[in-house]
Amino acid sequence: MSADRAPSAAPESASGSASVDYQPFAHLTAPNAELYRAIMGVFVAEKERFTVHLRPEDVHRLLPADPGVDADDTVKALDRLAEWGNLRPDPDTGRVTAVEDFYRRRYIYQLTRAGEAAEEALAAYDSGLGRRGSLQSVALADIAARLRELLAWADPASDAAEPDPALVHRALRDLAGRFGELADNARAFMGSLQRTIDLHDAEVEAFLAYKDRLIDYLERFIADLITTGSEIARLLSDLERTGPSGARAVDPLLTAAADREAADTLPGEEQGADDAARAAALAEWHRRWDGLRGWFLSAPDHEPQAKLLRSAARSAIPQLLAVVAALNERRSGRSDRSADFRVLARWFAEAPDDASRHRLWRSAFGLHPARHLTVDSETLQAREDEPETATTPWDRARPVHISPQLRRTGQYERRGRPRKVADRSAERRRLAEHARKQAEETAAARARLDTGGRIRLSDVAELDPAAFGLFLGLLGDALAHWAYDSRETSTTSNDGGLRIRMRALGDGATAEIATPDGVFRGPDHIVEITDLEGRAATP
Amino acid sequence: MTTGTRTEDQTRAEVRRAARALLREPLLRGGGRTADDFRLVRQHARELREWFDRNTGWGLHVDSETARLRKTPGAPDDATHPARETGGARLPFTRRRYVLLCLALAVLERSENQIALGRLAEQVVLEAADPALAEAGISFTLEERSERGDLVAVVRLLTRLGVIALVAGDDEDYLRSTGDALYDVRRRVLAGLLAGGVGPSTVAAGTDGDRLAALTADPVLESMDSADLRNRRLRHTLTRRLIDDPVLYYGTLTEEESAYLASQRTAITSRITELTGLVAEARAEGIAMVDPDDDLTDVRMPEKGTHGHVTLLLAEYLASGPPRPVPRAELEEQVRGFARQYGGHWSKTAKEPGAEAELVHRAVEKLEALALVRTATEADGTRSVRALPALARFAVGAAVVRGGSATDPTDEQEPRR
Repeated sequence: MSADRAPSAAPESASGSASVDYQPFAHLTAPNAELYRAIMGVFVAEKERFTVHLRPEDVHRLLPADPGVDADDTVKALDRLAEWGNLRPDPDTGRVTAVEDFYRRRYIYQLTRAGEAAEEALAAYDSGLGRRGSLQSVALADIAARLRELLAWADPASDAAEPDPALVHRALRDLAGRFGELADNARAFMGSLQRTIDLHDAEVEAFLAYKDRLIDYLERFIADLITTGSEIARLLSDLERTGPSGARAVDPLLTAAADREAADTLPGEEQGADDAARAAALAEWHRRWDGLRGWFLSAPDHEPQAKLLRSAARSAIPQLLAVVAALNERRSGRSDRSADFRVLARWFAEAPDDASRHRLWRSAFGLHPARHLTVDSETLQAREDEPETATTPWDRARPVHISPQLRRTGQYERRGRPRKVADRSAERRRLAEHARKQAEETAAARARLDTGGRIRLSDVAELDPAAFGLFLGLLGDALAHWAYDSRETSTTSNDGGLRIRMRALGDGATAEIATPDGVFRGPDHIVEITDLEGRAATP
Repeated sequence: MTTGTRTEDQTRAEVRRAARALLREPLLRGGGRTADDFRLVRQHARELREWFDRNTGWGLHVDSETARLRKTPGAPDDATHPARETGGARLPFTRRRYVLLCLALAVLERSENQIALGRLAEQVVLEAADPALAEAGISFTLEERSERGDLVAVVRLLTRLGVIALVAGDDEDYLRSTGDALYDVRRRVLAGLLAGGVGPSTVAAGTDGDRLAALTADPVLESMDSADLRNRRLRHTLTRRLIDDPVLYYGTLTEEESAYLASQRTAITSRITELTGLVAEARAEGIAMVDPDDDLTDVRMPEKGTHGHVTLLLAEYLASGPPRPVPRAELEEQVRGFARQYGGHWSKTAKEPGAEAELVHRAVEKLEALALVRTATEADGTRSVRALPALARFAVGAAVVRGGSATDPTDEQEPRR
């Protein structure tokens, strides 16, 4: 910093160059940035009170109380700021009352345009970053009120013939402004909510203090959004309704606002410039209107923003509660299973090595399988035959039997051998064949026994061994069923394959049946043998 | 009369199967893979509960969906039972995975009945913001693929345990950041996950060993003191070790435990035999409850395949000399020799040069898990392996193949040493 540097360094050129190289922002990164910002803050605040020039002593007096800054520092800082183009020094022509003051360099300072723009930018930056985001139920009410106003003007049935364009314009501007705020805030809110919930470096106390109010607030907002939001949606649809002329009710209002805006612009030299300005203004209003509608009304291709906001706010509540629960549990040290697992996590983290972690796992969870050495039946048998006492050391006892095969190759069986044991298909085939043949023989014997009607037993004459075997069995069944005083009987064989009816003749005649093994004799009977299975199969 | 006896035998066999199933897998579910075992356990729950309560102090909880035997180890200093990933190389869990597992469980405990993997991840990150974890040097953002991989490994273990069940989606998609997966949360299983009677959050102990002791303590038995209860505690500890661990060496017992075991050995082992079919192999140095059915274990010996073969050969080698610390390098040298001799039967990768270290590592891990060897780092920094007495079970016996007199015990002992 140089005191002898010409303070009259052309202010205009300074601000001109600043617009190119952003000199007015230089003080942000300089040492002493805090002081510079504080001084600029003084100028901005004074400007709001319409004070244009400030003397160094005024600046020093207005600075936030800070013992580290004396009057000289302030003057030096003011000069630096003038150098960067934020301030413009002008010679102070006021009276002085002391000689030394007269000899001191005397200037008064005012903000340059560049300095002012820099301050505005910084203010916007700060508020943008610092914004936690808030949801405005008030904004919703305002929007609804403006829409009601607009609807009253747009209603052709209303007696107010022609709405005042100035009023319409103001209402629409207000509407657009409120809506813009609402949208900005909602965006900021979503962002800050996520930051709150993530809570990586949790400021626990602050969060817990804040959360009840936050949840309250969210619930209120959701309620408002539902009630006021639906009213707004209804008003919007009313304003969108097309009249007999085919235009929407809101269109004349938008046109009126655009007309009024166009009238404010400077008159153009060329013919048609006015029309162009009007068209541009109208297009702008249509865009704003569409934005508003998109917020509250659903279109086929997108959900209304309000609905998305509502669901985001709603899902934020359980998420917040989860964070609260987690924090509370972590703080309270209450013992439940969740706390148990958390403590275990810490123990695992603190354990000195893998081995101790494995031990901890086994002791805490106990999910390990039992583990045992094996013994084979040969070894067991040998031990039973020749028991070894419990005082035998392991290396004096017989070792377990290990198959030489396993010892040599690491495999239990020679390759390919197990198949030989498993394959019994040949035997099964033979058995099946045997069963089939037996069934066939029985069927044939039955068919031969079938008498096809009533005949005398003596007419049977001859039977082969298979058929005769069946016949004997059948005869046994029939005789067993023969009631004491009856002359005839009827029965079915045990397997249900044959039915026999017999009637005693009592004429003393003898029937003879010849078989290859000998002759069967007995009193003659009338018999009827029916092959039930064969009959059932053939028809 | 005869039918009555048969039913009794049948019941005995069923109880045995149920008990073995519980010892093999202490958390059984009514559906899926373990459904049959669960049904058996449920059927005989009363008898099993009484047995375990009386002899081991382990609680058996059975409801309509799960059966859980709350096994706490008799000797908490065994580090050979890590949690393992469910697929691939079945690697033991790392520090991060263990921590993630517990945080995930803490989240599930509080969650709704369904949870998406992405949501689970968010909440785990939130839980991980605990200053105590940060102090221990653990932090999760779950933004890196490797971190998501850890979470997926945890989720797969939880799925296998039945704590959660996949409803839709795929954890692979989550891993690749291309999608998400949705799970049902099974509260009943979750509720039974911790084994001990003492909630870790009530334990104030600050050191590792104290924490383990507190977890495995039985608050009811500890709080009272009488000869009867002391004996009961001894019985529980000894039975736990016998029924769960491969070998109980007398050298690892306290004086009190030794005295009790000396007088009760037969009673304890025969009760175990009756329940499980395990047979006591009592020797001068200790007791092993050995399994004639060879399926009540997660580590098998002998076992077929290359690794089983190498393990067997190394066991024989270690059992063949007087006990001494054998450096790993020596074992690797041996394996190179085995490879020349038996390599024809081995897998291709096992025969590649440089595979010895891995082969020895796996074999020693197995022998250590079966309490057959102990590993240590010697004073000079070399890592060594020392045979434990039961390893002698696997010494090469008499010339069973060549000599004819294998049954002669004198014949058998001489050539071994």
